[in-house]
Amino acid sequence: MLKLIQKTALVGAIILSAGAALADYPEKPIQIIVGFDAGGGTDVMARTAAPFIEKYLGEGASLVVKNVPGASGQIGITETAGADPDGYTIGTFNLPGMMARTIDRKSAYDVDSFTYLANVVNDPNVIVTSKRGDLDTLEKLIAEATANPGAVTVGMSSLGGDDHFMLIKLQQLTGAEFTIVPFSGSAPARTALMGGHVAMGILNISEVAEFQEELNILGVAQAERSPFAPDLPTFKEQGLDLLNGSMRGFVAPAGLPADIEAKLLDAFGQLAGDEEFQAAMAATANPVEVVTGAEFKALTASLYDLAKGVWETTPWN
Amino acid sequence: MYSDLLNALPEVLSLANFAAVIIGVIAGIVVGAMPGLSATMAISVLVPFTFGLEPLVALGLMAGIYNGAMYGGAIPAVLLRIPGTPAAVATTFDGYPMAQKGEGGFALQVAVVSSSIGGIASAFALMLLAPPLSQVTLLFGPSEVFWVAIFGLASIIFLLGGSPVKGLISACFGVFVSVIGADPIFGTDRYTFGQLEMLDGISIVILLVGLYALPPVIDLLETPLKTETDANKLGTEPIWRTLPRMGRFWKTWIRGSLIGIWIGILPGAGGSMAAFMSYNEARRASKTPETWGNGEPEGVAAAEVANNADTASALIPALTLGIPGTAVAAVMLGGLMIHGLQPGPMLFRENPDVVFGFMWQFLFGAILLVFLGGSLATNSFARLLNLPRPLLGSVIIVLMLIGVYSIHGRMFDVYLMLGFGAIGYVMDKLKFPLPPVVLGLILGAFAEENLRLALRIGRGDWTILFQNVTSLVIVALTIAVIVGPLIKRRYVNKRLKAELGSKTGMEE
Repeated sequence: MLKLIQKTALVGAIILSAGAALADYPEKPIQIIVGFDAGGGTDVMARTAAPFIEKYLGEGASLVVKNVPGASGQIGITETAGADPDGYTIGTFNLPGMMARTIDRKSAYDVDSFTYLANVVNDPNVIVTSKRGDLDTLEKLIAEATANPGAVTVGMSSLGGDDHFMLIKLQQLTGAEFTIVPFSGSAPARTALMGGHVAMGILNISEVAEFQEELNILGVAQAERSPFAPDLPTFKEQGLDLLNGSMRGFVAPAGLPADIEAKLLDAFGQLAGDEEFQAAMAATANPVEVVTGAEFKALTASLYDLAKGVWETTPWN
Repeated sequence: MYSDLLNALPEVLSLANFAAVIIGVIAGIVVGAMPGLSATMAISVLVPFTFGLEPLVALGLMAGIYNGAMYGGAIPAVLLRIPGTPAAVATTFDGYPMAQKGEGGFALQVAVVSSSIGGIASAFALMLLAPPLSQVTLLFGPSEVFWVAIFGLASIIFLLGGSPVKGLISACFGVFVSVIGADPIFGTDRYTFGQLEMLDGISIVILLVGLYALPPVIDLLETPLKTETDANKLGTEPIWRTLPRMGRFWKTWIRGSLIGIWIGILPGAGGSMAAFMSYNEARRASKTPETWGNGEPEGVAAAEVANNADTASALIPALTLGIPGTAVAAVMLGGLMIHGLQPGPMLFRENPDVVFGFMWQFLFGAILLVFLGGSLATNSFARLLNLPRPLLGSVIIVLMLIGVYSIHGRMFDVYLMLGFGAIGYVMDKLKFPLPPVVLGLILGAFAEENLRLALRIGRGDWTILFQNVTSLVIVALTIAVIVGPLIKRRYVNKRLKAELGSKTGMEE
């Protein structure tokens, strides 16, 4: 009985607050939960985007970044998933990492725990080889990995991340076989490549743009050439339908009131056409690709399916 | 490569960055002068607070504290025969007899000038050696780094002095702590008990604060210390008048600097070993060895030049390979990483201003030591010993709690720190050395990850670990570090025992 009263009261409170929210959202600061330390790529994206979202929400809206680092962002995203769906808590979201974590460990959230607002950054993968070896073209690389399965060692930042899925896609497309060497982070992987300790590496374009002298960059896994390195060919140009990258965006807890969701979607959607925002992101080496709402959710679901498929055939832990 | 060094200079000379070094040096002398408080402790307590500061302000404070504390330890060593830091033990041998003869002021001036010279030499070694070495480290792949980590663990266990068995147990505890968290390759949970906070492993800063700051503070509160000193009996003369009398120490200064720099680069051994070695070598070279131990100023010079000469050089392996040589270097590495600076060859390329600025700060810290320590030390710092210890202890505990909480804003970290504090306190009482725990945590993780990466690269073939010259050289060094002391114990022990016996006899 007491529980029923509590529930009724709670529902009443939610309806009341939703009613209040209907009137003039946002009427208090909106918290952005960033699952990483201040200064990292995801944090920089959130802090760069915040003033623009404030502008598009209007009415003196204010966004406050809260860093909840740890466990590759899992602590932060769990907090976002469990927050009140009142539009005053949103969180950063990383793909494919956040979905891979629902497969390789117990997680308190899944694809349906969120209202998908917008993916903002898509940092495409690149394949690089060491200057100390002689695999300086895509053709030579694939020929070697096909002739001697497993002989080509591939440095990457971790298992179950975008680098790993990129390699799986490459193996599925070409039938070649590689040996994965997962360093902890992309910087040590890049250093090992420069020293010739691994033959090949899978990184992101923002991580190699300044290293074109020291590494052979064989291709970019994006549909169009990247404005960061316009000289680098895509895989598509080389006859390989290979698209993959590390994505970062924003979500809110599932069950957001429809009008608030619409208002937020509208604000995030306007980022795509904002040249000032594009320039600010380019300055921090963040390639922008805005995908909103249902499309963002479909993207997440497809990456989940890919990760799930990989996990079922070759689990990484 | 060295042009970046000059480019970094203007930034270092800006007001905030330079003031940080000055404040650091003064704070370091104070901390060093308090028996029980070490540079490691001071910097561990400081690191969490530097998060919000500009990198060079934070690093300047650390460089200053390190330099200052290494000299500060000489003050109670000379006046009370209580070494303020472990590295100042050798300073008591001749410093205290000098104070009894009424030459305490001169002893402290010799100490400050020698400390400063050692620090300057060490800063130059860091500036000249680190940049080229960082390029060489590109040649270090997973199998080489694995062996460097093993070498580091072996040296900390066998070179630290004391019982190697206790050192081994301490190191094993550190390696165990390194296992906690997500597996470095597969991300499988290990000893996390389902706590997401544990998934990233135990932060080195939390371990350091608990292990290095809590036990000495409890000690501070436990033991009332009678520290009545009479500053009037120091016999202080202005430093410009005593300076010419130090000219004859030049050979000792050069020898002590080289010993200190070398010991600093070597993982494991720290300032106290450098001071002992320098003291022994200087005495052996002296024409009047009989005056040593009875108030020979050159003995103070030998000890103090060496314990400052290992400061900056201990950072050479830390900055180039990410492998700290000493506990202090480990804390500083933690401080660097809090500011997003990753050690290794990329550090010099991506953050030249910060890393070279840090080196300049070491140099300025060492030079400032003469001005700040020399003019103030003899009278003012001697009075520090009369500060109320309970007050000091409680202030440090409060700073520790706030600092650790502020790293991630979680109480979990505070409880973890207190837990390590309790373990550290027990270990300290049972005379288990603490540095192997810290290096075990860092090097254990290094060794595990790089061994597994090397085996993946070799596709499961263990011979990959012995396939190149670099690896073999490091393996040989490791064997030398382990076997050397055993041989020494067997053949040289008797002679050493006789020598040591006569020296401890003089101390009594």
